[in-house]
Amino acid sequence: MSTPLEKPQIISHIQKSLNYTVFDGKWIPCSAKFVCMGNFPRGTGVMQIYEINHGELQLVKEIEKPKPIKCGTFGATSLQQRHLATGDFDGNLHIWNLEVPDVPVYSVKAHKEIINCIDGVGGLGIGDGAPEIVTGSRDGTVKVWDPRQKDTPVANMEPVEGESKRDCWSVAFGHAFNDQDRCVCAGYDNGDIKLFDLRNMSLRWEKNIKNGVCCVEFDRKDINMNKMVATSLEGKFHVFDMRTQHPTIGFASVSEKAHKSTVWQVRHLPQNRDIFMTTGGAGNLHLWKYEYPAQRSKKDSEEVDMGVAGTVNLLQNVTLSTQPIASLDWSPDKQGLCVCTAFDQSIRVLIVTKLNRV
Amino acid sequence: MSAEMVNSLLNTEVDYSNKIPVEHLDYGYIEKCSDLRYLEKILKVLRSGEEGIYPHLIEFCEKHVEKLNPKSRALRKDKPPASSAALPTEEWNQISEELKSWETEMRAGEVQLKRLPLFSDDENMPPIRGSNYSSQSTSAVEVKKKNAKKSSVPRDYKEWDKLDVEKECAKVDGMTTGDAAPTVINRGLPQIQRTLRTSALTEQEKIVLANREKDKGNEAFKASDYEEAVAYYTRSLSIVPTVAAYNNRAQAEIKLQNWNRALSDCQKVLELEPGNAKGLLRRATVQKHLGNLQVAVDDVNTVLHIEPHNEIAKRLLNELNKKMKESGPEKKPAKGKKMLIEEVDEEEEQETQEACGGAVESSRQPRAGGESSTSAATGEERGDMGNAQKKPHGRGDSGAGGGGGGGPRGPRGGNADKYTVTPPKEERSAGKGLANGNSNSTTHHGDSGHRDGGRPWGDTKVNLDAPAGNLPPPLARLKNEGNHLFKNGQFGDAIEKYSQAIDGYADTGVDSPEDLCILYSNRAACYLKDGNSSDCITDCTKALELQPFSLKPLLRRAMAYESLERYRKAYVDFKTVLQIDNSTQAAHDSVNRITRLLIEQDGPEWRDKLPKIPMVPLSAQQHRKDEPLSAEEAQARAQRAAEEAARKAEARFTLFKSEGNELVKKGRYEEAAGKYSECLKLKPSECSVYTNRALCYVKLERFAEAKQDCDSALALEPDNKKAFYRRAMAHKGLKDYLACSTDLQEVLRLDAGVQEAERELQEVTELLRQSLAAASPGKPRRSVPITEVDDTEETPTKEGQDSTPEQNHVNQRKPSILTQPANAYEFGQALSAARSHDDTAACAELLCFIAPETLPSYIANHLDGHTIAFIMQALDGHLLKKDPGLVYQHLKHLHTAERFSVVLMLLDKEERRRMTQLFEHLAASESEAFSKDDVQNLANKYI
Repeated sequence: MSTPLEKPQIISHIQKSLNYTVFDGKWIPCSAKFVCMGNFPRGTGVMQIYEINHGELQLVKEIEKPKPIKCGTFGATSLQQRHLATGDFDGNLHIWNLEVPDVPVYSVKAHKEIINCIDGVGGLGIGDGAPEIVTGSRDGTVKVWDPRQKDTPVANMEPVEGESKRDCWSVAFGHAFNDQDRCVCAGYDNGDIKLFDLRNMSLRWEKNIKNGVCCVEFDRKDINMNKMVATSLEGKFHVFDMRTQHPTIGFASVSEKAHKSTVWQVRHLPQNRDIFMTTGGAGNLHLWKYEYPAQRSKKDSEEVDMGVAGTVNLLQNVTLSTQPIASLDWSPDKQGLCVCTAFDQSIRVLIVTKLNRV
Repeated sequence: MSAEMVNSLLNTEVDYSNKIPVEHLDYGYIEKCSDLRYLEKILKVLRSGEEGIYPHLIEFCEKHVEKLNPKSRALRKDKPPASSAALPTEEWNQISEELKSWETEMRAGEVQLKRLPLFSDDENMPPIRGSNYSSQSTSAVEVKKKNAKKSSVPRDYKEWDKLDVEKECAKVDGMTTGDAAPTVINRGLPQIQRTLRTSALTEQEKIVLANREKDKGNEAFKASDYEEAVAYYTRSLSIVPTVAAYNNRAQAEIKLQNWNRALSDCQKVLELEPGNAKGLLRRATVQKHLGNLQVAVDDVNTVLHIEPHNEIAKRLLNELNKKMKESGPEKKPAKGKKMLIEEVDEEEEQETQEACGGAVESSRQPRAGGESSTSAATGEERGDMGNAQKKPHGRGDSGAGGGGGGGPRGPRGGNADKYTVTPPKEERSAGKGLANGNSNSTTHHGDSGHRDGGRPWGDTKVNLDAPAGNLPPPLARLKNEGNHLFKNGQFGDAIEKYSQAIDGYADTGVDSPEDLCILYSNRAACYLKDGNSSDCITDCTKALELQPFSLKPLLRRAMAYESLERYRKAYVDFKTVLQIDNSTQAAHDSVNRITRLLIEQDGPEWRDKLPKIPMVPLSAQQHRKDEPLSAEEAQARAQRAAEEAARKAEARFTLFKSEGNELVKKGRYEEAAGKYSECLKLKPSECSVYTNRALCYVKLERFAEAKQDCDSALALEPDNKKAFYRRAMAHKGLKDYLACSTDLQEVLRLDAGVQEAERELQEVTELLRQSLAAASPGKPRRSVPITEVDDTEETPTKEGQDSTPEQNHVNQRKPSILTQPANAYEFGQALSAARSHDDTAACAELLCFIAPETLPSYIANHLDGHTIAFIMQALDGHLLKKDPGLVYQHLKHLHTAERFSVVLMLLDKEERRRMTQLFEHLAASESEAFSKDDVQNLANKYI
């Protein structure tokens, strides 16, 4: 076992208590600022922009909105514009220009119920092709939006009538390595993971991991899909090797139990796709590294290619709080810097060291 | 002991659900227990403190668990996050410093980002999804969505399912699999775009993107998806070319064994950054696989020169050396290749940034040029080295590339094959090979057989009856046949022929020990090639008895000794060779190698064990040197010497030049100019060095010198735009704006995209306008019609030349360059230029060239008091002595100019005084063209 100092360290750099419940925090690309989204006790929504300034957090702007804001993403905007797309408790999808936040740049009543999750692609130079936003909601639907098209989604995935609607907890884009190819992965409360191929408009793969899927994320959105991590309610997470899809077995996977509590979120390091952090329901963070197997595919008994999963190694773990850590976001510009929000109404800026040495 | 305890102790089937007996919480039990799950349970009990707290036991138990399974989940402990205090102070300082600089950087970047105009890239954007289904309206889409079953965009999972996934998959898969259910392997490789749209991106965005693509490449590389990695590096390079990305792509290409592409990438790296160790190492690796071992060794040596402790380089060098020993004429394909330089660099970020800056672009060009010439030079050098090595016995292989005899390389093993080096490289020209062959044959008198051997292999018509020394024709024929066979690599047959010749020699009774010696020597060469070292030694010894201290037999014997591992004798022979001819490279190499081996073998006193090295009589050395040279031989030798000198000069030239380039980069122009001057001493015909030195001079504000350099460069390369641009800068510095603008226009003509030139041109035009305006105050400003200025570079317009004192100086010596101003406009230009510099000489010269009758019409537009005074001054100061007649004529016509009388009234006192002075001088000078009265009359019109 290596000495503790050789391993990456997770350092709590700045901590700040807030007067509202914070659901999501996202770095503003190409800046030392991040935006926090949540709801005030009086039932309204709030976005706050903080800037890191010599080890302190400075509140740059506070924006109050009528509905609590659940989630946000910068994934579908250009670096110049840096518009934030948010989903709120009422099912509205808004895109804000944070410089002029009074009126949204784009607004649509996307879902009948709360938007649980949002993801964007095609912006920031991540992913070729059109800028698109995907939202997942409690109403059971997953919709893909193009900010250039008003009112209607460009793709809509919902259960047939009569079938029970499952709460969609997580959505993620992936496979966006050229103009045409693109996939959306959605995770549901019953443990279903569905992979939709937007190019062919088909359901490409589905799997049930028995426990509610809290978070799914591809290691990279803008490459030929490589790996995907799905986290679950009961403390397990699964890493799928997305390169080889066997006709019956599907994708090979490895699972690991991080802790007993829910794994709320997983986020891959933007500078290294094989390192990711999971956040736990008991206020803990786990930093993992995926190791590829020697051969990523092999032949089964019928000479059909099947994938081989690698292994997952724990690099570091810390406990920050007693409350769940609901979100974590790596800075796209500074390796090792991340912000996480917890239900103890606080935000923390963390530094993870030695990430380039693992 | 209770029954339960007995049960638990004896029973191997451990019941996990039961409570753990207290007895198990014991050092002895824990140590023996190998059941991980049970141990974990014990640990849990211990930690819970239910049975009391035993910190040491807990620790012991943890260690034991770790021993069994280091990754055991039981070992994970809740830890608070580290704080800054937990880290060593320096480390934390470093982190916080980095963070602070990042903050400021980001803030600056953000300001920049905001300042940029927002322009969208809509036309390049891919279409909205589904818009290709219905082009009518969005409502149509909505309708389709409502009647779910028929929607083109499927809505529910069942429907999504209806799309036959397998079929779709098969499509995606490109029908690679047959009847069996297909596996989808996501090889999106061909669909990855190799270039990115960057038109609408800002510099900052480009850098971010390029880095991201490079990171993706790195990740793909780590996952062994080399082709994908190459694709991403290519994307990165399509945005911003960086050293790191080229370097990494080279590595990926190496993995894919695309040697040539890897090589070109390495070259790019070295162009952008000469002396990049990784680039060099990778190039060495590539060269190794391409079979250019010597080139590879050179590269590795360069790396070791830069980083003497580079382990990878050392290993590679060892491998190369080993390979060079093994490599025979027929090279085995490289197998079991070992990649050594694998780490993909992250730390090259720094350079990336540096290289990204657009400002560096222009300064990179000269560097790139320098490097390319460097590599060309080294290429040549290598070719030469190859030649040098095979000099000692490069008999049959000059142009051929057949069984090329290389320098001795292997100290061990009796196989003569190892003396052959890789086939000759392409760089070596046939001509060179011929020269080399000839130079080899200079070793002895009458060694015509050898000269035959030196012929290029392409020469198939071998004259077997060529006379050979004093040998009678049958023997000569045998010998020539032998030589021919030797050349063809049929050593056994050659031996036979030579033996026949030797046997026949005794019968002929001819007394020609030289020829016999050559026969023995040649046969020895054949033996050596055949690996028959002992016979080789015998023959060499015989040859040496006949002709003591002849070079070739000695050398061959030395090699034979060496291959028999009789190093002492080999050493002695090599040493003797060196006494005879100190320039035998192979002997030097071998001596070094053998010295090492002998030291290893005999220890520090190895010299004592050596047999005596025979003193070579001076006559033998002398003999070699004073050898009367045939014209051909002399030429060959001279050529060789010249080549040698050229090679050395080339090397020094490259060195100086790269040093110069380095200094320029550091901003030490003075020293850089010095280096370039050294370069030019070695090679006065290198255009880029002139332009580089010109740059230094411009920076040092030594414009005249800069101009000269540019002129030289342009003489070598008449359309070198860098030279034009720098000359423009020099002209600007010399305040010769017209010439400057001409040069700039030339630059733009050669390459319309040079923005600096355009900017400068605007600036200079403005300056020119100002200078002209200053020249003719009171006149409305005229735009300067630069376009009319003569376009050809080598004969700059008259005005341009007149305006600088220095150039004017040149003109006085060579007035023929000047042409008569064709019209009033040109005259006016020239006059103003001269006036702006107060250059009366130029003015006088100008006046020389125009006919006095035309003066009034020319000057009309320019006529003012100052101009008149200026002309008077010119006439008085320069022209009067030379040609008083002309002065008189000018004056005679000048006053007929329009408005002359008005202007005359405006003259101030000083100017009047000058005019009076001029007429006094004129009156005083004697001439047939006019009388004193004429002058007086004229004066009356002026004064």
